[in-house]
Amino acid sequence: MGAHFRGFSMFDAFFVQQLVNGFSVGLVYALIAIGFTLIFGVLNVVNFAHGEVYMVGAYAGVVLITAFAPPLIAVVLFVMAVGAVAGFGLERLAFKPFRRFQDEASLKSKAMREATLLSSLAVSIVVREIVEKLFGGAMRPVPFEAQLTEPIQVGDLSFSTGQFVIFGAAVAMFAGLQFLLYRTRIGLSIRAVANNPLGAKYVGINTDRTIIATFVVGSVMGAVAGILVALYYGSVFPHMGFAPGVKAFVAMVMGGLSSIPGAVICAIFLGLSEAVATEFLAQGWSELIAYGFLLLTLIFFPTGLFGGARDRV
Amino acid sequence: MSKNIRLPLIVGLAVLVLLPALLQVMGSGYLFRVSITAMIFVILAASLNFITGVAGLLSLGHAAFYGIGAYTAALLATRYGVPFLLTIPLAGVAAAIGGVLVALPTMRLVSIYFAVATLGMGEIIYGTLLNWVDFTRGPMGIPAIPSFKVFGLDLSGNLGSYLVVAVVMLASLWVLHRLTHSYYGNALRALREDDQCADSMGIDVVRLKGEVFAIACFFAGIAGSLWAHTTGYISPGDFRFGESILVLAMIVVGGLGSLPGAVVGAVLLIVLPEALRPVGDVRMIAVGCVMFFSILLLPKGLFGEVSALNLVRSSFGAGWKPGVRGVVGWR
Repeated sequence: MGAHFRGFSMFDAFFVQQLVNGFSVGLVYALIAIGFTLIFGVLNVVNFAHGEVYMVGAYAGVVLITAFAPPLIAVVLFVMAVGAVAGFGLERLAFKPFRRFQDEASLKSKAMREATLLSSLAVSIVVREIVEKLFGGAMRPVPFEAQLTEPIQVGDLSFSTGQFVIFGAAVAMFAGLQFLLYRTRIGLSIRAVANNPLGAKYVGINTDRTIIATFVVGSVMGAVAGILVALYYGSVFPHMGFAPGVKAFVAMVMGGLSSIPGAVICAIFLGLSEAVATEFLAQGWSELIAYGFLLLTLIFFPTGLFGGARDRV
Repeated sequence: MSKNIRLPLIVGLAVLVLLPALLQVMGSGYLFRVSITAMIFVILAASLNFITGVAGLLSLGHAAFYGIGAYTAALLATRYGVPFLLTIPLAGVAAAIGGVLVALPTMRLVSIYFAVATLGMGEIIYGTLLNWVDFTRGPMGIPAIPSFKVFGLDLSGNLGSYLVVAVVMLASLWVLHRLTHSYYGNALRALREDDQCADSMGIDVVRLKGEVFAIACFFAGIAGSLWAHTTGYISPGDFRFGESILVLAMIVVGGLGSLPGAVVGAVLLIVLPEALRPVGDVRMIAVGCVMFFSILLLPKGLFGEVSALNLVRSSFGAGWKPGVRGVVGWR
């Protein structure tokens, strides 16, 4: 009886450990999804290059660490600067040229939306391949001293410092973004442009500058997510942006495309369900859980679980 | 009459006689390989153009159907010894069934939601090919797929493979041409421009979308079976998201909605990276740059839809003129 009970409780602890790990994976998706959703909500276009901003942020941080080994806060500030430049460049390169026409019909037109979708896709391919040319396609380890993998034992559960850092960063980013959106002037203009770009223009908002600001804020968040995740997992590689980028995308769609809290909740849900799925399925199959949820959401809740009403989906 | 067959005659002569003769004289297996790959991608690009260009449904998972076709052909040929004359159509049918199964639940979605759903479906199919190790051998892939051999006739050499692929490509292009440049194609273009409006004009939108998906996936499956038979080895990595994007780039570069554009785009994006090989392996960078600059500078593509329709009208005469029994349009 005692032995049986002990076995059960060990399974329980193992299961809770899995949930903890799944939660931190979900937070990783959430970190990316926040920036993704911010950009989608404003421009109503999908930014396929967000995963590459994440990857560039991670590489920039790792290069800095390898060269100078500065403290974590300096690395984060440097990566934020890189992310801001990347977001600005991305907007100028892949989105601005397709906003030539400002009338209502072309702002809503399918052709424009698909042009920016394809141009951001093209930019993401080029950036990823250039990084692969410069640094090689293989995994590049992060210097051991900088890794956030120090274990912390709490009862039967073991955490790592990286999990706390990612949790803290996710909370800080989410709170910071809510503050930015609802308590500052630039946030007000971002929400105005998100709501109605033409109307925002009529009341004197500089839409061009607002869109740049949105890209910079979203990309800074993506880049910081990249370096934190790289330090947590201990390596970077050119294709690191793709899988979490797609998962973040799925979380955004499940959350209703323009709802940031919805995207965060769905990202954590995805991470948890992948962790639970590894209990029952092989690793490869559990990767597919996210896509299964995506299809179920699109079929049964086409506006997302937390989205407002939309015309058509 | 002579006007109507001039263009097919020129294209047929060039592809079936001139080019293989030239390649044979140069005697280069490498150039044969590049041409075969280009022709397979012409079929793929033409079929994606049918969904995305003509019917306006942005599909980001086309490589998955290509993969279904390749795996069907490879498994039939290696496990059951089915000859290639049967595996090619069966691969097409399997991919078409897959396409209909994908289309059924996603049919009601429009624009980006549909694109995301096809991306998800593509990844699910790729994951299945990768993880169903008992059936597909997973990441090890399927080796030793027999080449083209039929009735004691050995077509497995460079020239033989080239001719088989060329004939299949020309037949596929002809079918897609007849579907695109006809009343049926006009209905699809109406669907692309405004599906609610098309619906209110009496076009059965849901049925058409399903048919378009089935037809395009059929040809993608055929392209996959040709790939399996000509390379002799396939693995799930050949059918990833990157390939879907490559095919999408081809039709964007060539011009969305234009069948000759799809051909031009496919040939360009296969031959250009090969031509750049001396510079180094910059294949995907070249693809990305070509895609970006063509969207920026040539939003209608190298061979836009309007010029394509004009070409078809001038070469096949009867476009939108009253014909037999007062029927207007291409027949």
